[in-house]
Amino acid sequence: MLTHVLSLGAASGLTKGFGIAIGGGLGAVGAGVGIGIIFGKVIEAVTRQPEMRDEITSIQWLGFALTEAVFFYGLVAGLLSYVLT
Amino acid sequence: MTDRLNKLTNKQILWILVGVWLGGTIILIAALGFGHRNNEFQIQNEFKLVNWTHWGVFSINRAVVYLFLAAFLTVGTMLWISRRMQMRPNRVQTAVETLYSLMRDNITRGNMPDSMARTWFPFLAALFLFLWWSNIIGYLPLPTNSEQTFNLFGAHIPSFALYASTANISVPLVLAVIVFVIFNVVGITKQGPIGYTKSLIPSGVHGPILLLIFPLEVVSTFTRLISLTVRLFANILAGHLIILFMAGGLAVILGLSFLGWALLPVAVLVYLFELGLIATLQAFIFATLAAIYIAGSVTHH
Repeated sequence: MLTHVLSLGAASGLTKGFGIAIGGGLGAVGAGVGIGIIFGKVIEAVTRQPEMRDEITSIQWLGFALTEAVFFYGLVAGLLSYVLT
Repeated sequence: MTDRLNKLTNKQILWILVGVWLGGTIILIAALGFGHRNNEFQIQNEFKLVNWTHWGVFSINRAVVYLFLAAFLTVGTMLWISRRMQMRPNRVQTAVETLYSLMRDNITRGNMPDSMARTWFPFLAALFLFLWWSNIIGYLPLPTNSEQTFNLFGAHIPSFALYASTANISVPLVLAVIVFVIFNVVGITKQGPIGYTKSLIPSGVHGPILLLIFPLEVVSTFTRLISLTVRLFANILAGHLIILFMAGGLAVILGLSFLGWALLPVAVLVYLFELGLIATLQAFIFATLAAIYIAGSVTHH
C-alpha cells in the first residue's frame, strides 16, 4: 500500500515532500491528543482543587513542552528524509 | 470621522477588519492573478551560515554573532540591573525580580534539595538566561543575511532576517553535552562509579530481568542528550520556518502573490505565540530538565 502511494508520488514528483507530510502529520496527531489530555486534566485538577493552581500550572507547562516535542521529532524525521533523498 | 469611529462596537471593528482582509485578497487575486512556481528561492538558504571571516574553525558567521549578542545581553542586563537596585523597585526591576524568583524557586529549588540548589543555581540561571536571550533575539529582524544585500544611500547592507542561534542544531547540542557531562560527573563523584551505575537501575528490580532493564536505562540516559537537543532546536526552527512561510515565503515559492496578504494575520499570530510563549518556555524547559537530571544523578531512584 505504502509503496504504491510512494510510487504514485514519485510519478508526480511529490516524493520529496512525502517525508515531511507523513512525519509532520502523524506527529501532529499524537501531540494533539497528548496536549488535549494535558490541558483537560489541568482544568479538571484546578476545578477540584483551586488552591493548588500555582503548582499545577508550573507542572502543566513542563508536560506541555515535553509532549509538544514529540511533534517536532516527527517533523525532524520528515526534514531528514527530505534532505537525505 | 473620529466620532463615528468611536461609536463602533468591537464586533463591528472585527467585521470591518475581516472585510478589509477578504477584499484585499480578492483585489490582489484580480490584479495579480496566479503566478508560476518559483524554483529559485530556496527556503533553506534563509538558515545558511556564510563565513564572514576566514579564520578556520573560528570563523565568524551570523550564528556566532547571535551567540555573542546573547552572551553580552545575559551578562550586561544582569550587571546593569544589579548596579541600580533600589529599595522601591521600578518596573524593570520588578520584572527582573520575577524572572529571578522563577529561576531560583521554580527551576532550581523546585527540583533540587536546598544544599544542591545553592551550588547549582548560578549555572542553571546562566543557562536559562542565555537560552532565553538567544531565543528572544531570534525574533528580532537583524541585518544578517549577507547573501542578499540592499542599497541604502550607496552602502550595501545585508537584508534583515530572522535567525536564531538555537535554530542551528550545534548550539543546543553543545549545551546538552555540557549538561550530560555535568550530571554524569556529579553522579560519579558523589556515588562512585559502581554506585552510580547501580543507581541507574530502578529500585525493586532484581534477578534476570536486569539483563533487559539495565541496557534500557543506559540507552535512556543517552537519549536525554538527543531529546534535550532536538526539543529546543526543532521548536525554534519550526517556529521560524512557519513565520517565514506565512509571512511571504509561501507566496514567493508558489508564485501566488495574494498569499502574502492573505496569510499575514497568521504570521503575526504565530510570531506573537512564539515570542510570548515558546521562547521563554523552551529556555525554562531546558534549564528545568538540566536541574532534574543533575538532582537525579545524586539520589538513588
